[in-house]
Amino acid sequence: MSEEKKKISPSLIISVIIIIVLLAALVYYATLPPKVEVVPTVVVTTVYTTAPRTEERKLEIFHWWTAGGEREAADAMFRALKSKYPDIILVENPVAGGGGVSHRVVLQARLSAGLPPDTWQTLGGAELKAYVDGGFLEPIDDLWEELKYADAIPKPLADMVTVGGHRYTVPLNIHIQNILYYNKKLFDELGLKPPTTIDELLAVAEAIKKAKPNMWPLALGTKEKWEAAFVLDSFILETGGPEYYVKLFKGLVDVKTDPTFRKALERLSELVPYVYPYHAGLTWDESCGLVVSGDAAMVLMGTWAIGYFQSRGWTPGKEFGALTFPQKPERILLGHTDSYGLAKGAPHPNTCKDWLRVVASADLQVPTDVTQGGMFARLDIDPMKFPDPIRQELQTYLRNNPGKLILDQHGSIAPYSFTQAYWDAIAAFFAEPKVDGTISTVASLFETYNVKAEAAWYHWGSV
Amino acid sequence: MKLSITDILFFLVPTIFFTIILYVMVGWTFYISFSDWQGTAPNYNFVGLKWYQLMFKLDRFWVDIRNNIIWLLVGVGPTAIVAIFLAYILELKSTQRFETYIRNLILYPAAMSFLVTGTIWSWMYQPDKGVINTILKWANLGFLTSNFVTDPATANYWLTLIFFWQYLGFSVIILQSSLRTTYLKEMVEAAAVDGASRMRILFNIVIPNIRGGILILISLLLISALKVFDIVYIVTFGGPGYSTDVLALFMFIATFQQHLVAVGAGLGVIIFIMALIIVIPYTIYAFRRWFG
Amino acid sequence: MKMTLLDTLFILSLVILTIGYILPIYVMFVTSLKTPLEITQRTYLIPGEPLQFQNYIRAFELIFPSLINSSIITISVTAISTFIGGLNGYFLSRYKSRLTKVLFIFMVIGLFIPYQVILIPLVQIMAATKLALTYLGLILSYIILNVPLASTLMGTFFFSLPRELEESAEIDGASRIGIFFKIISPIAAPAYASTSIIIFTQVWNEFLLALTLSTPYTTPITVKLAEIKGSYVALYNLQMAAALLSTMVPLLLFLFLGKYFVRGILAGALKG
Repeated sequence: MSEEKKKISPSLIISVIIIIVLLAALVYYATLPPKVEVVPTVVVTTVYTTAPRTEERKLEIFHWWTAGGEREAADAMFRALKSKYPDIILVENPVAGGGGVSHRVVLQARLSAGLPPDTWQTLGGAELKAYVDGGFLEPIDDLWEELKYADAIPKPLADMVTVGGHRYTVPLNIHIQNILYYNKKLFDELGLKPPTTIDELLAVAEAIKKAKPNMWPLALGTKEKWEAAFVLDSFILETGGPEYYVKLFKGLVDVKTDPTFRKALERLSELVPYVYPYHAGLTWDESCGLVVSGDAAMVLMGTWAIGYFQSRGWTPGKEFGALTFPQKPERILLGHTDSYGLAKGAPHPNTCKDWLRVVASADLQVPTDVTQGGMFARLDIDPMKFPDPIRQELQTYLRNNPGKLILDQHGSIAPYSFTQAYWDAIAAFFAEPKVDGTISTVASLFETYNVKAEAAWYHWGSV
Repeated sequence: MKLSITDILFFLVPTIFFTIILYVMVGWTFYISFSDWQGTAPNYNFVGLKWYQLMFKLDRFWVDIRNNIIWLLVGVGPTAIVAIFLAYILELKSTQRFETYIRNLILYPAAMSFLVTGTIWSWMYQPDKGVINTILKWANLGFLTSNFVTDPATANYWLTLIFFWQYLGFSVIILQSSLRTTYLKEMVEAAAVDGASRMRILFNIVIPNIRGGILILISLLLISALKVFDIVYIVTFGGPGYSTDVLALFMFIATFQQHLVAVGAGLGVIIFIMALIIVIPYTIYAFRRWFG
Repeated sequence: MKMTLLDTLFILSLVILTIGYILPIYVMFVTSLKTPLEITQRTYLIPGEPLQFQNYIRAFELIFPSLINSSIITISVTAISTFIGGLNGYFLSRYKSRLTKVLFIFMVIGLFIPYQVILIPLVQIMAATKLALTYLGLILSYIILNVPLASTLMGTFFFSLPRELEESAEIDGASRIGIFFKIISPIAAPAYASTSIIIFTQVWNEFLLALTLSTPYTTPITVKLAEIKGSYVALYNLQMAAALLSTMVPLLLFLFLGKYFVRGILAGALKG
């Protein structure tokens, strides 16, 4: 039993210190000058441009751009909105988690309880389809007509957000998945050319391994599992070509007997010795960090990594270079989009439609996409608006070849019930490259989750 | 004393109200597990065991069960044992000066968000530049380094170490209160006067007399191990592959990522049943104590 | 003094525990004073240069509203659950009837229900009653989950409390309610304190329920910490600084109420 001491106990001292600190902080916080808010003051006026008088000019929006550069991008979006419609009161609900992991939790809960926000960020593809099937989104074909949006963006992009012939969301950017980032200074030093095929990749990896034994040629972080599927996707694209890729994820390929899938896995197993082995404990951003810290030379990641590299002080074209991978047999871009739609039963539907009109405009897309790392959805925006040569080139290529865009892992051609489990299987492959085991696992996944039926909605090219 | 209606209303109604709601929700989840709810919209059509059958066919489910059992055995046992020793040691006169220090030291994980402690532990466990391996290499103990949670064979066990770290303080606290009774003190003093060593006192007198506290502690730890989610979510997210997956994490993924809400509910039911089985010994014991 | 096995064990545990518990804090602290680029180098033990104290100012700006939210929510839940638990525990310990036996069983089982099991129905109920996006919804949800725990903890205390005091008051004709407030409650203060600490920690750090039922106006600290890190930019430095700042509140509680553990939870009831 502790004795009651006469002298002052350490606990008391620590408590007093903490209270003083909190009080000081309180005073500091209270005396801070008021921040300039994103929420504009309500302009009490009866002049509304498009909304009827009975609807409150409020927009409740869910997204996951919560910190740093992505926060700036969100602010850019809302500034564009405010400049076009200054009377809209914005209520945003930012829920952190790349790709919307936590965001989906909140959304599922709210939607199933009948409390939708007006609009939410969604990636298009199977995720979008899940909301459409649940009856949570309003078709916005009329809005697309009004904005002639189908003509303004690449057809595959429009198809990503079209289910059953109806348009459901307005894309504001394109994020490309299959980009190979590499340490430019290292490549220059070793006289290496960025690889465009699997063979070249393996050769480059071998060269790096010989010259720098302490550096891993390819960084990888599989904590969230999808990172592994990214690498396999690129291999599938080269071994099978774009139409095969789409067929595969539409469940139209018999994986058990198919030689192409097997070949892709076998080639992947040739890569495994060059891959950072402790990937299970790293997140995707930490894997990009490996390249920054010099522990690894290359990483296969999406365009959102550009923002990450920049936040670490790396300039595109200077410290790092990037190219889509692979480039044979065709140069295909695997991508998804960040898009916003109109909730069924939205509290403020007309306000939301005004928001969507802004989303489709260059006024929003230019500042937002430049900051956030994605590409412009609109084809009529000058690629030179990007400050970095990587995206300038990508946007130009897309402009000239809009048909070369296919829905990627994040947007997902196959239903999410399959995709999630598929990611686990491929992540496990990197830990233990068992080709036969993985093939039978993946084959059974296609069966179990009924991919053929669930992915039938997606079309690309002639598939 | 006479029982008046006012008494019953005042004392019991709030609890009964909340308890009913709680069990209604549990029943609701039971029902969802037999429904056809997949996708985002609620679907309450009764389909019996359809989703359970799917669940039982998945290899991942059985890996989960295996992992949860590992957690129950390896996580709870060491924590309880070390807590008993530690709580006892802290009662001895010679360690009084350290008591507050140690107690607050091991208790602070409870004050911290798991998001952050989990991130720190992933950094501790990184095989190449993580904290633990760096220290070992620096101390010339390089042979002791390990791949920790990136190796499927050892990953689960290293995760249970985090569980131990998180729950040790809580465990010691629970035991301390059962140790500090006058009854026990008198017995211990008598034995000390008789010349018994401190270890013998621990085993022959103390432990038998805090059986109740130990039982509560073990039950609480078992349940915490069964519903463990936070640690696995942040440190490995079930990886490598799904070798460290646990039922609670699979429930989360099935419900919110795969949109298979019926499967998620089914997993919740499995967790609940396992918890029920574990809790039965304590329930019987406590029932007898309270109602004679 | 001769060193016995127990003494060696003690010194060993002191050293191991100190390392095991101080090391993570040290890493957190060091990380909180770095720039994102320095964190990328993964030199977890070596401080950055120069030390970025402004991270703390920025972190504080970000989390201050959430600290208030979490405090409101957690303190309300703790106070109400503990109070209800006290009522219930007292009653169960004094009256042995069929009703109380049944209630007791449900209580104990309820103690062990994981929150995941009731997440979806809970949200549906909250939505149906229009409470979903308010402080009250979150508070009620946590109360539902914690009443069994509070009842059991308080109940075991009351069980061991001798009845002489009450008996003399009964003879004087006092009502049960009166006795509870005037006589029992002051004695039970330590039990209330220790139950409060346990419930406080359960609620303060809870993530999933907080994520699902909170809104931008009621964001608790656990959700805010995730937000600070960001989806794409991984600002661990700010997140660590914010986490360290936010532990001040529960830590304050521990320091003040910690000594009540000594005389608290299960005193006397569990001798065998």
